[in-house]
Amino acid sequence: MAWISKNWTMIGIIKGLIVTMKHILKIGNRKTVTVQYPYERMKVAPRFRGRHAVDEDACIGCGICETTCPNSTIQIVKYGTRWFPEFNLGMCLFCGLCVDACPMNALKMTGEYELADYTRESLIYGPERILFKKEVSK
Amino acid sequence: MWTGDTMITNPNAYDLIVAILNAIGVYNIILGFFQAQGMEYVLRIIIVLVEVVVVVVFALVTVMFLSWLERKMFAVVQSRYGPMVTGPRGLFQPIADGIKLLGKEDIIPATADRWIFTLAPFIVFVSVLLVFIPLPFGESLILSDLRVGLLYIIAISAITPVSILLAGWASNNKYSLMGAIRAVAQDISYTIPLAITAIAVVVFVGSLSTVDIVNAQQGYWFGVIPKWFIFLQPLGFILFLIACIAEMGRIPFDFQESEQELVAGFFTEYSGMKFAMFFLAEYAHLFAVSGIIVTIFLGGWTGPAIPLIPIQITSLVYFVIKTYAVIFFAMWLRDTVPRVRIDQLLYLGWKIMIPLALLNLLFAAFVVTAGVI
Repeated sequence: MAWISKNWTMIGIIKGLIVTMKHILKIGNRKTVTVQYPYERMKVAPRFRGRHAVDEDACIGCGICETTCPNSTIQIVKYGTRWFPEFNLGMCLFCGLCVDACPMNALKMTGEYELADYTRESLIYGPERILFKKEVSK
Repeated sequence: MWTGDTMITNPNAYDLIVAILNAIGVYNIILGFFQAQGMEYVLRIIIVLVEVVVVVVFALVTVMFLSWLERKMFAVVQSRYGPMVTGPRGLFQPIADGIKLLGKEDIIPATADRWIFTLAPFIVFVSVLLVFIPLPFGESLILSDLRVGLLYIIAISAITPVSILLAGWASNNKYSLMGAIRAVAQDISYTIPLAITAIAVVVFVGSLSTVDIVNAQQGYWFGVIPKWFIFLQPLGFILFLIACIAEMGRIPFDFQESEQELVAGFFTEYSGMKFAMFFLAEYAHLFAVSGIIVTIFLGGWTGPAIPLIPIQITSLVYFVIKTYAVIFFAMWLRDTVPRVRIDQLLYLGWKIMIPLALLNLLFAAFVVTAGVI
Protein backbone atom coordinates (compact mmCIF):
# COMPACT_ATOMS: atom_id res chain seq x y z
CA MET A 1 0.00 0.00 0.00
CA ALA A 2 3.00 2.25 -0.46
CA TRP A 3 1.35 4.05 -3.31
CA ILE A 4 -1.24 5.66 -1.04
CA SER A 5 1.43 7.65 0.77
CA LYS A 6 2.73 9.15 -2.48
CA ASN A 7 1.91 12.74 -3.30
CA TRP A 8 -0.53 12.18 -6.11
CA THR A 9 -1.71 15.76 -6.39
CA MET A 10 1.76 16.82 -7.61
CA ILE A 11 1.40 20.12 -5.72
CA GLY A 12 5.18 20.44 -5.48
CA ILE A 13 5.68 20.23 -9.23
CA ILE A 14 2.84 22.69 -9.87
CA LYS A 15 4.32 25.16 -7.37
CA GLY A 16 7.68 24.87 -9.10
CA LEU A 17 6.06 25.40 -12.49
CA ILE A 18 4.42 28.57 -11.19
CA VAL A 19 7.77 29.87 -9.94
CA THR A 20 9.49 29.26 -13.28
CA MET A 21 6.57 30.81 -15.13
CA LYS A 22 6.96 33.92 -12.98
CA HIS A 23 10.58 34.02 -14.09
CA ILE A 24 9.65 33.65 -17.76
CA LEU A 25 7.03 36.40 -17.56
CA LYS A 26 9.30 38.57 -15.37
CA ILE A 27 6.67 38.93 -12.62
CA GLY A 28 8.07 40.53 -9.49
CA ASN A 29 11.63 41.60 -8.90
CA ARG A 30 13.41 39.08 -11.12
CA LYS A 31 16.09 41.09 -12.86
CA THR A 32 18.67 39.47 -15.10
CA VAL A 33 21.84 39.27 -13.05
CA THR A 34 24.31 38.46 -15.83
CA VAL A 35 26.95 41.11 -16.57
CA GLN A 36 27.94 40.90 -20.23
CA TYR A 37 31.62 41.16 -19.46
CA PRO A 38 33.46 42.36 -22.54
CA TYR A 39 30.73 44.92 -23.25
CA GLU A 40 29.92 46.00 -19.73
CA ARG A 41 31.97 45.71 -16.56
CA MET A 42 31.19 45.53 -12.89
CA LYS A 43 32.42 48.36 -10.66
CA VAL A 44 35.60 47.33 -8.86
CA ALA A 45 35.54 47.57 -5.06
CA PRO A 46 37.69 50.41 -3.66
CA ARG A 47 40.00 48.06 -1.74
CA PHE A 48 40.35 45.62 -4.64
CA ARG A 49 43.92 44.31 -4.96
CA GLY A 50 44.90 44.52 -8.62
CA ARG A 51 48.10 45.59 -10.37
CA HIS A 52 50.61 47.59 -8.29
CA ALA A 53 51.45 51.23 -8.80
CA VAL A 54 54.39 53.17 -7.34
CA ASP A 55 54.37 56.87 -6.56
CA GLU A 56 57.33 58.22 -8.47
CA ASP A 57 58.01 61.07 -6.08
CA ALA A 58 57.53 59.18 -2.82
CA CYS A 59 59.46 55.97 -3.55
CA ILE A 60 62.97 55.94 -2.08
CA GLY A 61 64.00 52.54 -3.43
CA CYS A 62 64.66 51.22 0.07
CA GLY A 63 63.84 47.57 -0.80
CA ILE A 64 61.62 46.84 2.20
CA CYS A 65 58.87 45.70 -0.17
CA GLU A 66 61.37 43.33 -1.78
CA THR A 67 62.24 41.69 1.55
CA THR A 68 58.61 41.55 2.63
CA CYS A 69 57.29 39.80 -0.48
CA PRO A 70 56.64 36.12 0.31
CA ASN A 71 57.01 35.04 -3.32
CA SER A 72 60.04 37.19 -4.22
CA THR A 73 57.94 38.93 -6.80
CA ILE A 74 59.67 42.27 -6.33
CA GLN A 75 63.17 43.23 -7.40
CA ILE A 76 64.66 46.67 -7.02
CA VAL A 77 66.05 47.82 -10.37
CA LYS A 78 67.70 50.98 -11.59
CA TYR A 79 65.46 53.20 -13.71
CA GLY A 80 67.05 56.39 -14.92
CA THR A 81 69.00 57.73 -12.00
CA ARG A 82 66.92 56.23 -9.19
CA TRP A 83 65.97 52.78 -7.89
CA PHE A 84 62.42 51.46 -8.19
CA PRO A 85 60.73 48.10 -7.59
CA GLU A 86 59.99 45.80 -10.53
CA PHE A 87 57.06 43.35 -10.19
CA ASN A 88 56.99 39.90 -11.74
CA LEU A 89 53.19 39.53 -11.66
CA GLY A 90 53.40 35.92 -12.79
CA MET A 91 54.62 35.13 -9.28
CA CYS A 92 52.57 37.70 -7.36
CA LEU A 93 49.79 36.43 -5.13
CA PHE A 94 48.28 39.89 -4.61
CA CYS A 95 48.52 39.65 -0.82
CA GLY A 96 49.25 43.34 -0.40
CA LEU A 97 52.06 42.90 2.18
CA CYS A 98 54.35 45.17 0.15
CA VAL A 99 51.79 47.95 0.35
CA ASP A 100 51.60 47.55 4.15
CA ALA A 101 55.37 47.52 4.48
CA CYS A 102 56.17 50.62 2.44
CA PRO A 103 57.56 53.30 4.81
CA MET A 104 56.77 56.19 2.44
CA ASN A 105 53.23 55.02 1.48
CA ALA A 106 54.47 55.05 -2.11
CA LEU A 107 53.04 51.67 -3.10
CA LYS A 108 49.39 51.08 -3.83
CA MET A 109 47.28 48.56 -5.67
CA THR A 110 45.03 49.66 -8.53
CA GLY A 111 41.75 48.17 -9.65
CA GLU A 112 43.21 46.87 -12.90
CA TYR A 113 42.56 43.14 -13.18
CA GLU A 114 42.93 42.24 -16.88
CA LEU A 115 46.53 41.13 -16.60
CA ALA A 116 46.57 38.00 -18.78
CA ASP A 117 49.32 38.01 -21.39
CA TYR A 118 50.98 35.79 -23.95
CA THR A 119 54.54 35.43 -22.59
CA ARG A 120 56.13 35.16 -19.15
CA GLU A 121 58.43 38.05 -19.98
CA SER A 122 55.57 40.44 -20.58
CA LEU A 123 54.27 39.70 -17.08
CA ILE A 124 57.33 41.42 -15.59
CA TYR A 125 56.12 44.95 -14.91
CA GLY A 126 59.11 47.28 -14.80
CA PRO A 127 59.07 50.82 -13.45
CA GLU A 128 58.08 52.18 -16.86
CA ARG A 129 54.68 50.51 -16.49
CA ILE A 130 53.92 50.93 -12.78
CA LEU A 131 55.16 54.43 -11.96
CA PHE A 132 52.62 57.17 -11.48
CA LYS A 133 52.88 60.80 -10.38
CA LYS A 134 50.59 61.94 -7.62
CA GLU A 135 48.83 65.17 -8.45
CA VAL A 136 50.06 67.75 -5.98
CA SER A 137 47.15 69.65 -4.50
CA LYS A 138 48.08 73.14 -3.49
CA MET B 1 -18.38 3.08 -35.16
CA TRP B 2 -15.88 1.41 -37.47
CA THR B 3 -15.33 4.04 -40.11
CA GLY B 4 -11.71 3.44 -41.04
CA ASP B 5 -12.16 0.48 -43.35
CA THR B 6 -12.89 2.54 -46.42
CA MET B 7 -10.70 2.97 -49.44
CA ILE B 8 -11.19 6.74 -49.54
CA THR B 9 -7.74 8.30 -49.52
CA ASN B 10 -7.44 11.74 -48.00
CA PRO B 11 -5.56 14.33 -50.07
CA ASN B 12 -1.87 14.59 -49.25
CA ALA B 13 0.96 16.97 -50.11
CA TYR B 14 1.52 15.32 -53.49
CA ASP B 15 -2.01 16.18 -54.53
CA LEU B 16 -1.51 19.67 -53.15
CA ILE B 17 1.59 20.26 -55.27
CA VAL B 18 -0.23 18.98 -58.34
CA ALA B 19 -3.17 21.25 -57.52
CA ILE B 20 -0.88 24.28 -57.12
CA LEU B 21 0.83 23.50 -60.44
CA ASN B 22 -2.61 23.14 -62.03
CA ALA B 23 -3.69 26.46 -60.58
CA ILE B 24 -0.65 28.14 -62.10
CA GLY B 25 -1.44 26.27 -65.30
CA VAL B 26 1.92 24.61 -65.88
CA TYR B 27 1.17 21.06 -64.70
CA ASN B 28 -0.21 19.86 -68.02
CA ILE B 29 2.72 21.37 -69.91
CA ILE B 30 5.26 19.63 -67.65
CA LEU B 31 3.28 16.39 -67.70
CA GLY B 32 3.08 16.53 -71.49
CA PHE B 33 6.82 17.10 -71.71
CA PHE B 34 7.55 14.03 -69.62
CA GLN B 35 4.86 11.92 -71.28
CA ALA B 36 6.32 12.69 -74.69
CA GLN B 37 9.47 10.88 -73.64
CA GLY B 38 7.57 8.11 -71.85
CA MET B 39 8.99 9.12 -68.48
CA GLU B 40 5.96 10.08 -66.44
CA TYR B 41 7.46 8.43 -63.36
CA VAL B 42 10.34 10.96 -63.42
CA LEU B 43 7.85 13.74 -62.70
CA ARG B 44 6.44 11.77 -59.77
CA ILE B 45 9.96 11.20 -58.42
CA ILE B 46 10.76 14.91 -58.77
CA ILE B 47 7.61 15.94 -56.89
CA VAL B 48 8.36 13.45 -54.10
CA LEU B 49 11.94 14.70 -53.93
CA VAL B 50 10.64 18.25 -53.54
CA GLU B 51 8.51 17.07 -50.61
CA VAL B 52 11.48 15.33 -49.03
CA VAL B 53 13.65 18.42 -49.37
CA VAL B 54 10.93 20.60 -47.85
CA VAL B 55 10.57 18.26 -44.87
CA VAL B 56 14.31 18.01 -44.26
CA VAL B 57 14.79 21.78 -44.49
CA PHE B 58 11.79 22.31 -42.23
CA ALA B 59 13.25 19.86 -39.70
CA LEU B 60 16.65 21.58 -39.77
CA VAL B 61 15.21 25.08 -39.36
CA THR B 62 12.93 23.86 -36.57
CA VAL B 63 15.83 22.19 -34.79
CA MET B 64 17.90 25.36 -34.96
CA PHE B 65 15.06 27.48 -33.66
CA LEU B 66 14.20 24.99 -30.91
CA SER B 67 17.77 24.75 -29.64
CA TRP B 68 17.90 28.55 -29.47
CA LEU B 69 14.52 28.68 -27.75
CA GLU B 70 15.49 26.06 -25.21
CA ARG B 71 18.73 27.83 -24.27
CA LYS B 72 16.97 31.16 -24.10
CA MET B 73 14.16 29.90 -21.88
CA PHE B 74 16.54 28.06 -19.61
CA ALA B 75 18.55 31.26 -19.29
CA VAL B 76 15.54 33.43 -18.53
CA VAL B 77 14.38 31.05 -15.80
CA GLN B 78 17.84 31.17 -14.26
CA SER B 79 18.02 35.01 -14.41
CA ARG B 80 20.57 34.92 -17.22
CA TYR B 81 20.61 36.31 -20.76
CA GLY B 82 21.50 33.19 -22.73
CA PRO B 83 23.05 33.59 -26.19
CA MET B 84 23.17 37.31 -27.02
CA VAL B 85 26.12 38.02 -29.31
CA THR B 86 25.42 36.30 -32.64
CA GLY B 87 22.56 38.04 -34.38
CA PRO B 88 19.55 39.72 -32.78
CA ARG B 89 19.17 38.26 -29.26
CA GLY B 90 21.57 35.47 -30.28
CA LEU B 91 19.20 34.07 -32.88
CA PHE B 92 22.03 32.84 -35.13
CA GLN B 93 23.77 30.97 -32.32
CA PRO B 94 22.67 27.54 -33.68
CA ILE B 95 24.26 28.38 -37.04
CA ALA B 96 27.53 29.26 -35.32
CA ASP B 97 27.30 26.03 -33.31
CA GLY B 98 26.67 24.04 -36.47
CA ILE B 99 29.68 25.57 -38.23
CA LYS B 100 31.81 24.85 -35.17
CA LEU B 101 30.65 21.22 -35.04
CA LEU B 102 31.31 20.79 -38.77
CA GLY B 103 34.85 22.05 -38.28
CA LYS B 104 35.61 19.69 -35.41
CA GLU B 105 37.76 16.60 -35.84
CA ASP B 106 35.70 13.45 -36.34
CA ILE B 107 37.14 11.23 -33.63
CA ILE B 108 36.52 7.48 -33.61
CA PRO B 109 37.90 5.80 -30.47
CA ALA B 110 40.64 3.24 -31.13
CA THR B 111 38.74 0.33 -29.62
CA ALA B 112 35.34 1.32 -31.01
CA ASP B 113 33.41 -0.74 -33.53
CA ARG B 114 33.97 1.62 -36.44
CA TRP B 115 31.05 0.65 -38.67
CA ILE B 116 28.37 0.57 -36.00
CA PHE B 117 29.82 3.69 -34.38
CA THR B 118 29.46 5.55 -37.69
CA LEU B 119 26.07 4.07 -38.53
CA ALA B 120 24.26 4.70 -35.23
CA PRO B 121 23.76 8.51 -35.45
CA PHE B 122 22.35 8.17 -38.97
CA ILE B 123 19.86 5.52 -37.84
CA VAL B 124 18.68 7.82 -35.05
CA PHE B 125 18.31 10.80 -37.37
CA VAL B 126 16.56 8.90 -40.16
CA SER B 127 14.17 7.16 -37.77
CA VAL B 128 13.18 10.54 -36.36
CA LEU B 129 12.70 12.05 -39.83
CA LEU B 130 10.51 9.10 -40.83
CA VAL B 131 8.05 10.07 -38.08
CA PHE B 132 7.26 13.21 -40.09
CA ILE B 133 5.72 11.16 -42.92
CA PRO B 134 2.22 10.52 -41.46
CA LEU B 135 2.17 13.76 -39.46
CA PRO B 136 -0.65 16.04 -40.69
CA PHE B 137 0.73 19.59 -40.72
CA GLY B 138 -2.50 20.91 -42.08
CA GLU B 139 -5.45 20.24 -44.32
CA SER B 140 -3.95 17.99 -47.07
CA LEU B 141 -0.48 18.99 -45.85
CA ILE B 142 0.64 15.46 -45.13
CA LEU B 143 3.38 13.53 -46.89
CA SER B 144 1.48 10.28 -46.96
CA ASP B 145 -1.80 9.46 -45.27
CA LEU B 146 -0.95 5.93 -44.18
CA ARG B 147 -3.97 3.91 -43.13
CA VAL B 148 -1.87 2.57 -40.25
CA GLY B 149 -0.32 5.96 -39.43
CA LEU B 150 -0.42 5.69 -35.66
CA LEU B 151 0.94 2.15 -35.67
CA TYR B 152 3.65 3.32 -38.05
CA ILE B 153 4.63 6.17 -35.71
CA ILE B 154 4.85 3.85 -32.70
CA ALA B 155 6.81 1.28 -34.71
CA ILE B 156 9.28 3.85 -36.04
CA SER B 157 9.75 5.27 -32.53
CA ALA B 158 10.74 1.78 -31.42
CA ILE B 159 13.78 1.91 -33.73
CA THR B 160 15.37 4.67 -31.66
CA PRO B 161 16.35 2.49 -28.65
CA VAL B 162 18.03 0.03 -30.99
CA SER B 163 20.22 2.71 -32.51
CA ILE B 164 20.94 4.16 -29.06
CA LEU B 165 22.04 0.74 -27.89
CA LEU B 166 24.20 0.41 -31.02
CA ALA B 167 25.82 3.77 -30.30
CA GLY B 168 26.45 2.96 -26.65
CA TRP B 169 27.81 -0.51 -27.35
CA ALA B 170 30.01 0.50 -30.28
CA SER B 171 31.64 3.33 -28.30
CA ASN B 172 33.31 0.74 -26.04
CA ASN B 173 32.96 3.07 -23.08
CA LYS B 174 31.36 2.23 -19.76
CA TYR B 175 29.45 5.51 -19.54
CA SER B 176 28.10 5.09 -23.06
CA LEU B 177 27.00 1.55 -22.35
CA MET B 178 25.34 2.52 -19.05
CA GLY B 179 23.49 5.38 -20.76
CA ALA B 180 22.42 3.13 -23.63
CA ILE B 181 21.14 0.40 -21.30
CA ARG B 182 19.20 2.93 -19.27
CA ALA B 183 17.77 4.51 -22.43
CA VAL B 184 16.60 1.14 -23.72
CA ALA B 185 15.04 0.16 -20.38
CA GLN B 186 13.27 3.52 -20.28
CA ASP B 187 12.09 3.50 -23.90
CA ILE B 188 10.71 -0.02 -23.69
CA SER B 189 8.87 0.54 -20.43
CA TYR B 190 7.31 3.79 -21.65
CA THR B 191 6.36 2.67 -25.15
CA ILE B 192 3.73 0.38 -23.62
CA PRO B 193 1.60 3.07 -21.87
CA LEU B 194 2.19 5.28 -24.92
CA ALA B 195 0.73 2.66 -27.23
CA ILE B 196 -2.15 1.78 -24.90
CA THR B 197 -3.27 5.40 -24.50
CA ALA B 198 -3.03 5.83 -28.26
CA ILE B 199 -5.20 2.73 -28.70
CA ALA B 200 -7.83 4.33 -26.43
CA VAL B 201 -8.08 7.18 -28.94
CA VAL B 202 -8.18 4.73 -31.83
CA VAL B 203 -11.15 3.03 -30.16
CA PHE B 204 -13.02 6.34 -30.36
CA VAL B 205 -12.01 7.13 -33.93
CA GLY B 206 -12.13 3.67 -35.43
CA SER B 207 -9.12 4.34 -37.63
CA LEU B 208 -5.35 4.40 -37.30
CA SER B 209 -4.96 7.07 -39.96
CA THR B 210 -3.77 10.36 -38.49
CA VAL B 211 -5.96 12.33 -40.88
CA ASP B 212 -9.03 10.43 -39.72
CA ILE B 213 -8.06 11.10 -36.10
CA VAL B 214 -7.87 14.82 -36.83
CA ASN B 215 -11.12 14.81 -38.79
CA ALA B 216 -12.87 13.11 -35.87
CA GLN B 217 -11.93 16.07 -33.68
CA GLN B 218 -13.59 18.72 -35.82
CA GLY B 219 -16.66 20.46 -34.51
CA TYR B 220 -17.79 21.59 -31.07
CA TRP B 221 -19.72 20.22 -28.13
CA PHE B 222 -22.47 22.60 -27.02
CA GLY B 223 -21.04 25.06 -29.53
CA VAL B 224 -18.17 25.98 -27.20
CA ILE B 225 -15.89 23.10 -26.29
CA PRO B 226 -13.91 21.79 -29.26
CA LYS B 227 -14.21 18.06 -29.79
CA TRP B 228 -10.62 17.38 -28.84
CA PHE B 229 -9.75 14.09 -27.23
CA ILE B 230 -8.06 15.88 -24.33
CA PHE B 231 -11.55 16.68 -22.98
CA LEU B 232 -12.76 13.15 -23.60
CA GLN B 233 -9.66 11.55 -22.12
CA PRO B 234 -7.83 13.84 -19.68
CA LEU B 235 -6.15 10.88 -17.96
CA GLY B 236 -5.06 9.50 -21.31
CA PHE B 237 -3.61 12.86 -22.29
CA ILE B 238 -1.57 13.14 -19.09
CA LEU B 239 -0.29 9.58 -19.44
CA PHE B 240 0.57 10.14 -23.10
CA LEU B 241 2.37 13.39 -22.32
CA ILE B 242 4.45 11.81 -19.53
CA ALA B 243 5.23 8.78 -21.67
CA CYS B 244 6.26 11.02 -24.58
CA ILE B 245 8.56 13.12 -22.40
CA ALA B 246 10.08 9.92 -21.04
CA GLU B 247 10.52 8.50 -24.51
CA MET B 248 12.18 11.69 -25.72
CA GLY B 249 14.64 11.39 -22.85
CA ARG B 250 14.11 14.88 -21.51
CA ILE B 251 14.28 16.08 -17.93
CA PRO B 252 12.76 14.72 -15.58
CA PHE B 253 13.48 11.43 -17.36
CA ASP B 254 16.80 12.14 -19.06
CA PHE B 255 18.55 8.98 -17.96
CA GLN B 256 20.21 8.35 -21.28
CA GLU B 257 22.41 11.41 -20.87
CA SER B 258 22.23 12.23 -17.17
CA GLU B 259 25.19 14.54 -17.00
CA GLN B 260 25.89 14.24 -13.29
CA GLU B 261 26.16 10.46 -13.31
CA LEU B 262 27.22 9.52 -16.86
CA VAL B 263 29.36 12.01 -18.73
CA ALA B 264 26.95 12.49 -21.60
CA GLY B 265 25.33 9.07 -21.75
CA PHE B 266 25.36 7.16 -24.99
CA PHE B 267 27.01 9.91 -27.04
CA THR B 268 29.94 10.47 -24.70
CA GLU B 269 32.47 9.42 -27.37
CA TYR B 270 30.83 11.26 -30.24
CA SER B 271 32.17 14.51 -31.61
CA GLY B 272 31.86 16.72 -34.64
CA MET B 273 29.31 15.83 -37.28
CA LYS B 274 28.10 12.65 -35.59
CA PHE B 275 27.35 14.52 -32.39
CA ALA B 276 25.49 17.07 -34.50
CA MET B 277 23.35 14.22 -35.88
CA PHE B 278 22.37 13.18 -32.36
CA PHE B 279 21.64 16.79 -31.50
CA LEU B 280 19.49 17.25 -34.61
CA ALA B 281 17.65 14.01 -33.88
CA GLU B 282 16.92 15.07 -30.31
CA TYR B 283 15.22 18.31 -31.27
CA ALA B 284 13.54 16.93 -34.39
CA HIS B 285 12.16 14.21 -32.12
CA LEU B 286 10.88 16.88 -29.74
CA PHE B 287 9.00 18.56 -32.58
CA ALA B 288 7.70 15.29 -34.02
CA VAL B 289 6.45 14.01 -30.67
CA SER B 290 4.79 17.32 -29.89
CA GLY B 291 3.13 17.13 -33.29
CA ILE B 292 1.86 13.64 -32.47
CA ILE B 293 0.45 14.84 -29.14
CA VAL B 294 -1.28 17.69 -30.93
CA THR B 295 -2.63 15.36 -33.61
CA ILE B 296 -4.01 12.81 -31.19
CA PHE B 297 -5.24 14.90 -28.27
CA LEU B 298 -5.31 18.59 -29.19
CA GLY B 299 -7.29 18.50 -32.39
CA GLY B 300 -4.40 18.56 -34.85
CA TRP B 301 -4.81 21.35 -37.37
CA THR B 302 -8.46 22.02 -36.57
CA GLY B 303 -9.47 25.52 -35.59
CA PRO B 304 -11.87 28.30 -36.49
CA ALA B 305 -11.78 29.01 -40.20
CA ILE B 306 -10.78 32.52 -41.29
CA PRO B 307 -12.42 33.83 -44.46
CA LEU B 308 -10.32 34.77 -47.51
CA ILE B 309 -7.35 32.73 -46.32
CA PRO B 310 -7.02 29.20 -47.75
CA ILE B 311 -7.57 26.47 -45.19
CA GLN B 312 -4.15 24.98 -45.95
CA ILE B 313 -2.45 28.08 -44.52
CA THR B 314 -4.72 28.57 -41.48
CA SER B 315 -4.56 24.89 -40.58
CA LEU B 316 -0.76 24.95 -40.81
CA VAL B 317 -0.69 27.99 -38.51
CA TYR B 318 -3.02 26.31 -35.99
CA PHE B 319 -0.90 23.16 -36.04
CA VAL B 320 2.35 25.05 -35.50
CA ILE B 321 0.87 27.15 -32.68
CA LYS B 322 -0.43 24.07 -30.85
CA THR B 323 2.82 22.18 -31.39
CA TYR B 324 4.85 25.04 -30.02
CA ALA B 325 2.55 25.19 -27.00
CA VAL B 326 3.35 21.54 -26.25
CA ILE B 327 7.07 22.17 -26.86
CA PHE B 328 6.88 25.16 -24.54
CA PHE B 329 5.38 22.94 -21.85
CA ALA B 330 8.15 20.37 -22.28
CA MET B 331 10.81 23.07 -21.99
CA TRP B 332 9.01 24.67 -19.05
CA LEU B 333 8.97 21.31 -17.27
CA ARG B 334 12.65 20.85 -18.05
CA ASP B 335 13.48 24.19 -16.45
CA THR B 336 11.50 23.33 -13.33
CA VAL B 337 11.90 19.80 -12.12
CA PRO B 338 14.96 17.70 -11.22
CA ARG B 339 15.65 14.19 -12.45
CA VAL B 340 13.90 11.24 -10.80
CA ARG B 341 15.85 8.15 -9.77
CA ILE B 342 16.19 5.22 -12.18
CA ASP B 343 14.20 2.89 -9.89
CA GLN B 344 11.49 5.56 -9.51
CA LEU B 345 11.37 5.82 -13.29
CA LEU B 346 10.79 2.11 -13.78
CA TYR B 347 8.38 2.02 -10.83
CA LEU B 348 6.36 4.84 -12.37
CA GLY B 349 6.36 3.21 -15.77
CA TRP B 350 5.45 -0.36 -14.90
CA LYS B 351 3.44 -0.10 -11.69
CA ILE B 352 1.49 3.13 -12.18
CA MET B 353 1.29 4.20 -15.81
CA ILE B 354 0.55 0.83 -17.41
CA PRO B 355 -2.37 0.01 -15.03
CA LEU B 356 -3.72 3.54 -15.44
CA ALA B 357 -3.39 3.29 -19.21
CA LEU B 358 -5.28 -0.01 -19.19
CA LEU B 359 -7.94 1.58 -17.00
CA ASN B 360 -8.19 4.44 -19.47
CA LEU B 361 -8.55 1.97 -22.34
CA LEU B 362 -11.27 0.16 -20.42
CA PHE B 363 -13.09 3.47 -19.91
CA ALA B 364 -12.82 4.32 -23.60
CA ALA B 365 -14.03 0.90 -24.67
CA PHE B 366 -16.94 1.12 -22.24
CA VAL B 367 -17.98 4.56 -23.45
CA VAL B 368 -17.78 3.54 -27.11
CA THR B 369 -19.58 0.22 -26.62
CA ALA B 370 -22.32 1.83 -24.56
CA GLY B 371 -22.72 4.35 -27.35
CA VAL B 372 -22.41 7.41 -25.11
CA ILE B 373 -20.32 9.31 -27.65
